[in-house]
Order: sequence, then C-alpha cells, then structure tokens
Amino acid sequence: MTGAPVHDGEQVRPMGATAPRVPLLAMKQITKRFNAVEALVGVDFEVYAHEVVALVGDNGAGKSTLAQIVSGVLTPDSGIIELAGEPATIPNPSAAHAAGIATVFQDLALCDNLDVTANLFLGREATAGGSFLRDGEMEQTTKRILRDLNSPIPSVKTQLHALSGGQRQSVAIARTLIGNPRIVVLDEPTAALSVAQTAEVLTLIERLRELGLGVILISHNMVDVRAVSDRIEVLRHGRNNGSFDATTASYESILAAITGATSYIKGDRAY
Amino acid sequence: MAGSQSSLREANRAAVVDAVKRHGGLTQVELVGATGLSAATVSTIVKQLLAEGVVETRSTIRTGRRAQLVTLAHRVGLAVGVHVGHRHLRVAIADFTHEVLAERVLPLPQEHRVDTSLDRLALLVVDLLERLGLSISDVVGIGVGLPAPVDDATGMISVRGIMRSWDEVHVGHVISKRLALPVYVDNDANLGALAESTRGASRVYRDSVYVRASYGTGAGIVISHQVHRGFAGTAGEIGHVQVDPQGDICRCGSRGCLDTVVGARALVEPLRASHGNLTLRDVVQRANEGDPGCAQVIADAGAQIGVVVSGVAMTVNPQCIVVGGELAETGEILLTPMREAIRRRVLLNQIAPLEVIPAELGNAAEVAGAIALVLQNADIDLDPTAAAGVGAEAERVEVDGA
Repeated sequence: MTGAPVHDGEQVRPMGATAPRVPLLAMKQITKRFNAVEALVGVDFEVYAHEVVALVGDNGAGKSTLAQIVSGVLTPDSGIIELAGEPATIPNPSAAHAAGIATVFQDLALCDNLDVTANLFLGREATAGGSFLRDGEMEQTTKRILRDLNSPIPSVKTQLHALSGGQRQSVAIARTLIGNPRIVVLDEPTAALSVAQTAEVLTLIERLRELGLGVILISHNMVDVRAVSDRIEVLRHGRNNGSFDATTASYESILAAITGATSYIKGDRAY
Repeated sequence: MAGSQSSLREANRAAVVDAVKRHGGLTQVELVGATGLSAATVSTIVKQLLAEGVVETRSTIRTGRRAQLVTLAHRVGLAVGVHVGHRHLRVAIADFTHEVLAERVLPLPQEHRVDTSLDRLALLVVDLLERLGLSISDVVGIGVGLPAPVDDATGMISVRGIMRSWDEVHVGHVISKRLALPVYVDNDANLGALAESTRGASRVYRDSVYVRASYGTGAGIVISHQVHRGFAGTAGEIGHVQVDPQGDICRCGSRGCLDTVVGARALVEPLRASHGNLTLRDVVQRANEGDPGCAQVIADAGAQIGVVVSGVAMTVNPQCIVVGGELAETGEILLTPMREAIRRRVLLNQIAPLEVIPAELGNAAEVAGAIALVLQNADIDLDPTAAAGVGAEAERVEVDGA
C-alpha cells in the first residue's frame, strides 16, 4: 500500500521490460463483418511478452471473434496483423500454431478416454520414424511441463474423465505449451469452476506470465480478470472502448466502459 | 549404496508420503501414477504407513468406482490458517502437530473487496476440506492474518483507510457466521512473528523482531517469547513511521510514511521509464535473475527499512531481526543493505552484532502463524494418548514457555 493517488482508468502503454519493446502480436484496424453484423470494427490490439492482457466486454462485443482471428479460425476482412514486428497473416489454425500461438477454447477439446500424456500430444505425437510412438519421451515431456506449471495433476497416466474441472483446465493449458508457444489464448478458463479450482487456474496463468509468455485472457469474471492481468482491453459493439492498467483501474471504470457509460470512441468511428 | 534394498524402500516411502502431502489426498490408483511405483509396492507402503499412523485411508468414490483415499493422518483437531494478502489469499489446513495437509493460493485483484474476498475465503476452506475427505466439524478454529493493524479485543482493523472497504467490517464475525467456527484475526506481521519465533528462524531467541517487507511493510515484535500487539494492535506498524517529512501523504493520513517510500507502488514507479509496467513480483523475480535496476530498487528499500528497524531495535533490544515477505525472496539483495543500516547504529551492536536473518518459513510464515494462533487458543480436549506425536509434545512445551 502506498500513499500515491489512484488514477482510475488511466490509459496505459505497456512495455516489455528490458527487451526491445516490440509486441509479440499487434493487430491494427481489424474489421470483420458477417453480413449485416459488424463483429469487429477498426479494432487495435497488442500483446507483449511477459504480459497478461484481458479481453472483456458484453456478449457479442467481439471478444471471441478477435480470439478466433488470433488463433486462425477466422480471417479478418481488413486490417494488419504483425507478429514480433513483422507483417503476417494467420490464415488457419495450423499457421497460428506454427507462429507460436496456442489457444484453449471454452470446450477445452480434450479426450475423456485418453490419459493426460495422450491428450497433451493429441495429433502431434512424437514418433520414432514410421508409426512407433516415443511413449517414454512424451511422458517425460508431460511431467516436465506439469512440473514447470506447478500443476495440480497427480499423475500423467490418469484418464481425463477422472479429473476435476480445474485439473482439466490445467491439462488444456499444459497442452498449449507443447511446441514452445509465445502467446496463449484462454477463453473463459474459470467459468464453472469452484473456488479451489479457480485458484489453481489463476495460479497457472501467473506461472505462464512468469515463463515470459504473452497471455490473452477472455473472461466475464472481473475479479479473476483483475487478479491476474496487467492490462484490460474493453470491447463494446466490436470497437475498442478503453484500455486499463489492471493495477490502478477500478471496477467502476471498467464496468462503465463495458456498459458504454463512458466512451473512448471518437467521431464517426462510433457508428 | 544407492541401489541397496533398504535405501530403495526408504526412497519409495518418501515418494509416497511426498505425493500425498503435495496433493492433500490421493487414491491408491492415483498414487501409482504420481510416484511411478507399481500398484503392489504402493499398496505395501500404504499398509506400512497406515500401521505406523503416518497416513489414514477411507473409502471414497472416484469416477463411479470405490477407491481408497489416502491422506496424512491428523491428530485431535485441524486448524485452518488464512493469509489475506494484498494480491493473494493463502489458505492452509494443518493438524495439531502443525503438519500442513493441504494448501491453496488464490490470486486477488488490487484493492480487493471485502465481500468477494471473504466469500471466496469461506468457499476455499470448505473446498479444501472436501478434497481431504473431511468436514468443517473436524476443524477447531480459523486464524486469519490481515495486512493491517488489528485490534485484539474486537478483531477489527483498528486504523481506517489502510485496507479500503475493509474498515467497519467485523471479519471474525462474518467468517464465523459462514463456517460456524471460532475465528482469530490478527495482523499478518504479528502472525509471521509468532510462527518464526516458535517454529522458525528466531525460535532459539527470547526477544526478536519479525520484519515483513511486502506490498506494505510491517513488523511483529516478540518480547519474552510473546508477541507484543499493543493497546490497539498497532505495535510494530513500521510502515507508518515517518521517513520523509516532505513526502507523499500515506493512506493512513500521515505524511512521508515508510510505506510511501518502500511500498509496492513506490518500488515499481521508478522502474516504469526504463522497465515498463512491472508488478512487485516481477521486480523480485528480475532482481533474482540479476537485473541491476530491479536489484537497485530492492537494495535501496532494504537500506531504508533498515533505518526504521534500527529504531525499533533500539526500543526493544532484540537478539535478532528476522526478515520475511515477498521482498525477502531476493535474499541478500535486500538483507545486506538492511543489515548495514542496522549495524551502523553503535548501541545495537555493543555486545554482539545484531543478527539480521531471513525467515525460515518463507511465504508460509503468515499462515503458519495463523495456525499456531488457533492451536494456542483452541479449547482442545487434549487426550495425551491421542496426541502422542512428537510435534504435539514440542507444542505443549512451547505453550508452557510462553
């Protein structure tokens, strides 16, 4: 605690510490339309290394659309995407994976009948030439990743159906770390979890940040968002409606931006 | 020899106990996966541990099948220790021997609100107990540490404005209404002092001061093995000693408090131009990784805190200063300048140099103190045969000594 005044809603420009301050991912003037629906209009978005950026907004504000563009599921109608300062396109999910972007969608996409190791390497199994799997190596990698994350999973041989919601979420997060990504996108990771499980997942997110990754966190829970993020980006009707430093912004100012009580939209961009 | 039968058996036993400790409670099947041992070996080891009273087993259901849940054996009653920090909520459940059975950390937002945080606290306690296969009736009490001075008599924060939205809230009442348990509330530095002076770095000393260098700075003063809380619980609030008469106004209302100079905000602010937006944890992590700027900020804070602590030491004349809290995770980066500032005061070091040492219990000191507070206060119907553990013996000696 300090005596310094709190600047609510202070606009911030985050910087990636001593490393050259080039964002891992920069999206400029991204627009995406579905017929008459303006999902995104001129949205700017940046993620730096060692940073958790929360993406918040009402239902239909464009959070998931933006996440899907980042992860290559959708392609924007217009706008510029830069990866580490270089112009890039993310035409499909495997391009996103190749570019070091890993995504955990809300349904997690895990296989209940497989164990933790098999889920981590699903579709990317390590093979020793031909169709022989390198089980031992995959198991070791899984153990190392879970240990790096201080993950609450007791055994890499446990089948997924035996795990709790929080443990499943941490398997999904661990899976993103196969192939050393630079950016991890998490879509509503704490929805429908108990408090103990939420504690585990939020601790994992802190850990991802400590490992130097850029994390994009989509969530409705303002307490969870403010607990782990550095910066909070508000979307409203597909447009940027404020950028907040999570350590100084108040609940009120963020909620005001989400609900449209305050507006950062200038001139005709509002329409 | 590493390969000998008995040492292998020892290592396997340790692996099983470690796994149970780490996860709180595991079924035998999960233990097989967690340790990499065979099912037969795990079964044999669990049987041995059960016979020795190290673990307990009970039937549970996992994925529709009956299974044996293995937990550490607990004696007499359980105590829950809670530390409500500025950015974290830490909950630990321990038995009468202070052995921690389960622990969780929940990150909290800046300026977290009292209603949400207390709600999550209660749910987290129940959640953790469930995971151990236990219920609230096994618990004898809850100790809660807050980063603000707490009035002994009422269990309320005694200085307004230090924790926004937490003033006027009777924390103890709120929690005990939810969980139907006795609740003991204290300042977190006092709890750290209690833990370190009974089970940590200063246990061999009669008089000591525990300094908690974190988002704010506080101290717990131990005189004759007793934590000295003062009339309104503000003893040791070194974060509010004036160090800069021209400084900023602090939350407490005074000018130039130590917290305005070495608090989290004051530490990250000078790094903003060169390092960008950092959190306190980032500064600690980078200082440990050798970043000179971050190390500089922490070293300067150490020197500044040292000056104030030497004032406390002059008043109390302790045998040692124990330093804990997040900043202490940088080790000598913080401690060396603090020690130098304290050694500069001649009077303190007349007979022997005043010891300035790191906390032994690390970031678990506050919850350990909260657990100790519960066990000291709890009205346990102590059957000596039931509490035959070595730890329980030690505890009784300490209570007598206190």
